[in-house]
Amino acid sequence: MPPLLRIKNLVKTFEDNKVLNGIDIDVEKGETLGLFGNSGSGKTTVGRCIVGLEKPDSGSIFFKGNDLRAMNRREKKKVRPQIQMIFQHPEVSLNPRMKAFDSLVEPLKIHGWDDGYSLENKVEELINLVGLRREHLARYPAHLSGGEIQRIVLARILSINPEFIVADEPTSMLDVSVQAQVLRIMEKIQQEKGVSYLLISHDIDVLRKVCHRIAFLKNGRISGVENA
Amino acid sequence: MSYLNVSSVCVDFLTENGSVKAVNDISFEMNKGETFGIIGESGSGKSVITQAILRLLPSNAVVSGKIFFESEDLLSIDNKKMRQIRGREISLIPQNPAGSLNPLLKNKLQVAEVFEVMGVNKKEGIKSVLGMLKNLLMKEPAHILENYPHELSGGMKQRLLAAMCLSYKPSLLVADEPTKGLDSFSKKGTLDLFRHMKREHGNSMLVITHDLDFALEICDRVAVMYAGQIVEIGAVTNVLKNPSHPYTKALLNALPRNGLIPLNGHTPSRINLPEGCLFYTRCNLRSDKCGSERPVTKSNKGVIVRCHLY
Amino acid sequence: MIGLEITCLQNKSSVFSLKKDGIAGKILNRKDITISILLLALLFVVAISYPLLDFSDPNTIDLTNKNLAPSAENPLGTDYLGRDILNRLAAGTTTSLSIAAGVSAISLFVGIFIGCISGYYGGIIDETFSRIIDIFLSFPGIVFALTIMGFLGSGVINLILALSIVHWAKYARLMRGQVLSIKENEYVLSAKIIGAGNFHIMRKHLIPNSVATVIVLATIDIGHVILSIAALNFLGIGLPSDIPEWGAMLSAGKEFMRTSPYQTIFPGMAITMVVIIFSIIGEGLRDILDPNDTGGEYL
Repeated sequence: MPPLLRIKNLVKTFEDNKVLNGIDIDVEKGETLGLFGNSGSGKTTVGRCIVGLEKPDSGSIFFKGNDLRAMNRREKKKVRPQIQMIFQHPEVSLNPRMKAFDSLVEPLKIHGWDDGYSLENKVEELINLVGLRREHLARYPAHLSGGEIQRIVLARILSINPEFIVADEPTSMLDVSVQAQVLRIMEKIQQEKGVSYLLISHDIDVLRKVCHRIAFLKNGRISGVENA
Repeated sequence: MSYLNVSSVCVDFLTENGSVKAVNDISFEMNKGETFGIIGESGSGKSVITQAILRLLPSNAVVSGKIFFESEDLLSIDNKKMRQIRGREISLIPQNPAGSLNPLLKNKLQVAEVFEVMGVNKKEGIKSVLGMLKNLLMKEPAHILENYPHELSGGMKQRLLAAMCLSYKPSLLVADEPTKGLDSFSKKGTLDLFRHMKREHGNSMLVITHDLDFALEICDRVAVMYAGQIVEIGAVTNVLKNPSHPYTKALLNALPRNGLIPLNGHTPSRINLPEGCLFYTRCNLRSDKCGSERPVTKSNKGVIVRCHLY
Repeated sequence: MIGLEITCLQNKSSVFSLKKDGIAGKILNRKDITISILLLALLFVVAISYPLLDFSDPNTIDLTNKNLAPSAENPLGTDYLGRDILNRLAAGTTTSLSIAAGVSAISLFVGIFIGCISGYYGGIIDETFSRIIDIFLSFPGIVFALTIMGFLGSGVINLILALSIVHWAKYARLMRGQVLSIKENEYVLSAKIIGAGNFHIMRKHLIPNSVATVIVLATIDIGHVILSIAALNFLGIGLPSDIPEWGAMLSAGKEFMRTSPYQTIFPGMAITMVVIIFSIIGEGLRDILDPNDTGGEYL
């Protein structure tokens, strides 16, 4: 059974700087793979290439056996929602002029859903999954804490049932206790929904605690993978 | 005679929803030459108390209490006098070094501006900053000054700001979240920088942080803040290795290496403060008394703790 | 309810980001803004009600009563054709404000649309539109308007068209800049990753978060638009002479300045007042919309 995500020989150069110099990564279904590297090591670039925000110079990204780079627009459009991302900075992760509720249901409104549940039921299920309450949804991002915002973001991307989530330093801007809360919720989501994560972080303690395996990124290549 | 004596300070913010009690009767003392840490999470009031000390609160803040700095009450002197103290005797390295530097000006000009404001000869000022940069273990300091802020890494920006602060030889250095958002390599650099400053310059330092490891390495004594109050205060090894207050314990347990145990619940409303202990709803060591009676500070094995358990 | 905004120097996830919905608070704190808004409201009332109420025709010529000083019958005097000045000023309010509104609406719509597309798509689209914007901006305003009116001829529609052509480009450029500054924000990227289409992103995420500055500029500009209308009419190009308009009144009355200055003073004052009102409101809008404004000083 091929891995859920397989990256082969990914290369990306930014203006003379070869940030990624042949990256090979595998992520299995239901796994959390950590990606460790210091600032500027290119770990964010890997994440961005996977979700399609960045176009690699060369290499392949196989999702469920199919090369994302070889797909046409229609196929890509179908596949993209299954690969989602959560970012580092809660302050800019939600549209400041939209209430949390509207941000939460935006993906549902774009893609629709066919499991028969009403919008209200889906919203209820999602906020329970991340441990929030109705009152949080009525607020604007400015009135939500960093941890609450990251949880709304999680609920939002889960609404379209992704199989793979790139988490780019999701907790590095959060307080210690809030970090624990968000990471535990991500674990719970993995247990209940079977999502896989690529957890990008510069905090080795977090990675060792939360990941199944950790890949080390140095000088544009994966220098090693360890079992956590 | 203590060096910095914060005495029963309260800070309330007036809003249309009511009065928000950001800082709730804080008292602590700092000795000269000491590195004192204030540990707390978002909303604990740690930044507000710092702003109160520097008199940089917005206009809807109501402050009571006294803040004695070398026998002067900072809260009762006039603006002019405060401006003399701020920057000269008490200096602040703010939270986001990038945000404090004007991206359009060469570093040299930013440095010069500091001295211009202080009324010191610019050339002298720049010379002393160069000396300070060398001292803070930066290579090619002259080159750094000729560059623009965006050409420096986060760690270098921090050193530049530290140099600007230190070159006026302040008596008290306040550092706001010096390791926030930094990766482990940069954190180490910051740690080296602060150790160096401690050793070579002997300033008294007030460090605001929620990075428990950093506090352990660099602080002598720490105060842990929760919901606007100090819940525990003492020598750093006592507080962080052998915590007394349930909140401190929970904070340490939330660290990944200690189990990543989350703290459930949320901080209490600051407008309608609950009757009992402010940590009551999240404490797993609570008793009935905790819900109705506010605990006062007591001594316990060398630390002062605000909890009914003791 | 009047309230005050708190900003905490720390990150916004602290308890203290309590925003008051007292935009009213910010307005009432600044007397200049309050007064300007009240005066503007008064102007709007005049502009809207004038055509509906039964006033005598402002164009009625009565040569026996020409160049009169203010009196009970003619509170602001009469002009060189015996027409009541107050009547004509009021009629002119409707004219000026409706033309200014038309110009703002059209130039904002076009400017925001093109600026957004240009900033969002980048690449060749951005290059092309930017050059077009540069070309339009390189013509000096009044001269450009004059030239266009020369081609089109006078009339209300032509005037609105001409001034819109003059103004859209600067809104486009500002909008483009705003869009560029937010299009890499994580919530925009997130919308892309979720699979939102480009127009959805522009409509829901880019425009609401970048349009404020442009609107502020447009508000301040309304004063300038009214000045332009007056200038064009003063120069004799713009509106046919039977439509009462402040600039035209100024122009027609200038010969009589020594003997009967009222027919220039009052229209002049009206123009000045409106320009000042819109400038103050525009700048007030900018302060109000600025999320970082604490509305006060430090202690």
